[in-house]
Amino acid sequence: MSASFPSLFPGMLLDAAGRYAEDHVAQEIQGDPVRELGWTATLVPEEAGGAGGTLSDLASIVEGLATHGLQLPVVETCAVVPLLLQAAGAETAHRWLEAVAEGSARIAPMTALSATPEHLAVAARHLDIGYELSGVVQGVDLTLPATHYLVPVQMDGDDAIFLVDAERVGAPKARYRTMEGRLGADFTLERLAVPESACIARGAAVREARAKATDAALLLTAADTVAALATLIRQTVIHLKERRQFGVALSSFQVLRHRVADMYVKYLGAKGLVIHCFHEYEQNAADLRRTLRLAKVSLAESARACAESAIQMHGGMGVSEEVLATRTAQRLIASEFRYGDRLMHVARLLAQPQSDERVSLSNQTGSVR
Amino acid sequence: MSIDYAGFRRELESFARSACPPEIRAVVAAGQKITKREYQAWQQILNAQGWGAPSWPREAGGTGWDIRQRLIFEEVMAENDCPPLYHHGLGHIGPVIIRFGTPDQKARFLPRILDGSDWWCQGYSEPGSGSDLASLSTSARLEGGAWVVNGQKIWTSHAHEASMIYMLVRTSKEAKKQEGISLLLVPMDTPGITVRPIKTIDGWHHLNEVFFDDVRVRADNLIGEVGKGWTCAKFLLERERLPPANVARLELMRRQVTQLVEEAAQAAAGQRDFGGLHHKLLLCEADVKGARVMMAQATDDLIHQRPLGVQPSAIKMTCADVAQRLTTIALDAVGPDAAHRFLADAGEDVPDATWIQNYMFTRARTIAGGTSEVQRNVVANELLGA
Ligand SMILES: Cc1cc2nc3c(=O)[nH]c(=O)nc-3n(C[C@H](O)[C@H](O)[C@H](O)COP(=O)(O)OP(=O)(O)OC[C@H]3O[C@@H](n4cnc5c(N)ncnc54)[C@H](O)[C@@H]3O)c2cc1C
Repeated sequence: MSASFPSLFPGMLLDAAGRYAEDHVAQEIQGDPVRELGWTATLVPEEAGGAGGTLSDLASIVEGLATHGLQLPVVETCAVVPLLLQAAGAETAHRWLEAVAEGSARIAPMTALSATPEHLAVAARHLDIGYELSGVVQGVDLTLPATHYLVPVQMDGDDAIFLVDAERVGAPKARYRTMEGRLGADFTLERLAVPESACIARGAAVREARAKATDAALLLTAADTVAALATLIRQTVIHLKERRQFGVALSSFQVLRHRVADMYVKYLGAKGLVIHCFHEYEQNAADLRRTLRLAKVSLAESARACAESAIQMHGGMGVSEEVLATRTAQRLIASEFRYGDRLMHVARLLAQPQSDERVSLSNQTGSVR
Repeated sequence: MSIDYAGFRRELESFARSACPPEIRAVVAAGQKITKREYQAWQQILNAQGWGAPSWPREAGGTGWDIRQRLIFEEVMAENDCPPLYHHGLGHIGPVIIRFGTPDQKARFLPRILDGSDWWCQGYSEPGSGSDLASLSTSARLEGGAWVVNGQKIWTSHAHEASMIYMLVRTSKEAKKQEGISLLLVPMDTPGITVRPIKTIDGWHHLNEVFFDDVRVRADNLIGEVGKGWTCAKFLLERERLPPANVARLELMRRQVTQLVEEAAQAAAGQRDFGGLHHKLLLCEADVKGARVMMAQATDDLIHQRPLGVQPSAIKMTCADVAQRLTTIALDAVGPDAAHRFLADAGEDVPDATWIQNYMFTRARTIAGGTSEVQRNVVANELLGA
């Protein structure tokens, strides 16, 4: 069957992530595997001690984890953080990227899981000495311990990024289990005083970094969805072949055969769309953001239909969290609401039918098939 | 004597408003999962009023209401955020005991359903027997004047809070798998019963596995004839697919979801496009109206003992479909705000996120009580022949 589900981003990174996920999927997350495995170094340039890898490399890791149903905030810690840090001046960026790569600073973006890094929830005000930050950020991923938060802010009509000690921010107002089984938290910053040095970037560089982080988050979440779809369908096929009712395998019922066939065809379409997105990204296409929004809307539709089909075809097992297909269905639906939901992206697409959301990106090459 | 339906409705309305405790109405209004606590308190209030069993005949302790009164009752209760009646006792096993039980069984079990002191769950499905229920293998053999039960049930809703289980057991092996099945009533505190919770995608605890290890049950807890339990099971399943509250509850849900969408649209201030959701809501509104008439006709047939045909299947499919569409709309409306708040640290329900739980929970509407594929087979067999 594996021939029906070829890897999107094959290679050693995929294999390693897959093995790790397979071994750890049934356990509570211990420590900080993302940093211990060195994944935060993936996008960090070599001069800063990183691997100088591409988004496709990171997508390999995302795919490996999604294939075996492990939830880790790889997009947040390994893509959003290093890409936002690039907005800082060369020396500051270098210092923090180095710390990210070696795992000595555990930086989490203080952004809502449901919004893109372009969404600004926090405002900064310049004081005589230092700044104060105010705002409410709901649904920050706190699955892994953080020493610092990276906060995109609005400041006197300008854009800025702050790097703030986690201790200074203090505990979140509330903690939750997210739909996909991560730890989410709501923060309320009430005139939080931070030193002058906390403001690490301002102006056009910030906007460019936020746009890059947004594109990366959308791309990687799409890769997660396609990998999860493959797992969902693979598990459903196994179930239909193994489960017997009325003296025959479920796979002998034509209605179920057609339903799984529909899922597979949707998966192929979704995969094609994601490959197209990565190509546009690699070619620095002018239309990239529009394509990413389209993909977001389309993948949400396909993924939900497939998730619901898989649940249905598993019968009672489809509602039990012990079943990988069930958890994968949950993951797919949760992913719809990450980095903007379909209603938000549709609103933006309808408001801007022509592409005018140009984002310039340095041309990175990847190995996407 | 002709019935004053308008007066009847007013009487119910004022009762629902004054008698149903606000904390129970709040749970229903918020779309939270209703547990034994709410069901039981409300059942006791209704019973004290003499309305403990709206669907039972008077001689069994019911209200003896006619079809129209029963539908009015369901609508008024749903309109006023009162909990539905607890189906396993009143809707499922109660009518079976009334129809197939001995006078002694009626005397022992029916009053305790009415006053809410017994809490029932349904032990039908087994790990190897879901859609193919008749292949079940949990066994009961007569030994020293008692049935000795061994085996396992699964997906047993409410087993962790139930005091009684009605279960299908194999009492003999016959050539035809539907034969040799019996319906047994078993107290949940009988030694040898173990209940293990199942974690479900909705984050609520309602499903369980139930294990039976040499469980001894008094011989006169078997309903109907030995080996003829399938007849009772089919009688019961037909009713399970026709719960009178279903459509009234759909209308309640439609109102809740409509409000949710309005609030979300307002909060989004043009940043999200709600056009598609409004369109879907209108279709649900229309479908609920159609379902309401389907339901009334089927209930009328039930009362006049006319054959129900495919109606239970058609109504179950329709209600399941509309419920799923409504909670899907709710999911779309609250998703961005609620997907990360799925479960609070302390385990209590979070407003809005409750609707994501409801979305997950209603996935089971096309699975439990006979899957939609099985219902389609019933309808297709009627139209095309088996
Ligand atoms: C929330 C919930 C509550 C439940 N509560 C109870 C309870 O209280 N007591 C109890 O006894 N049971 C309960 N059940 C179990 C329920 O009745 C079974 O899940 C249901 O009958 C399906 O059986 P299964 O899970 O074994 O699925 P299977 O029968 O294995 O079905 C798997 C898939 O195959 C399809 N399929 C099966 N046969 C055919 C066919 N001939 N043609 C086409 N497709 C087919 C099904 O439609 C389904 O999509 C509950 C289930 C759920 C989800």
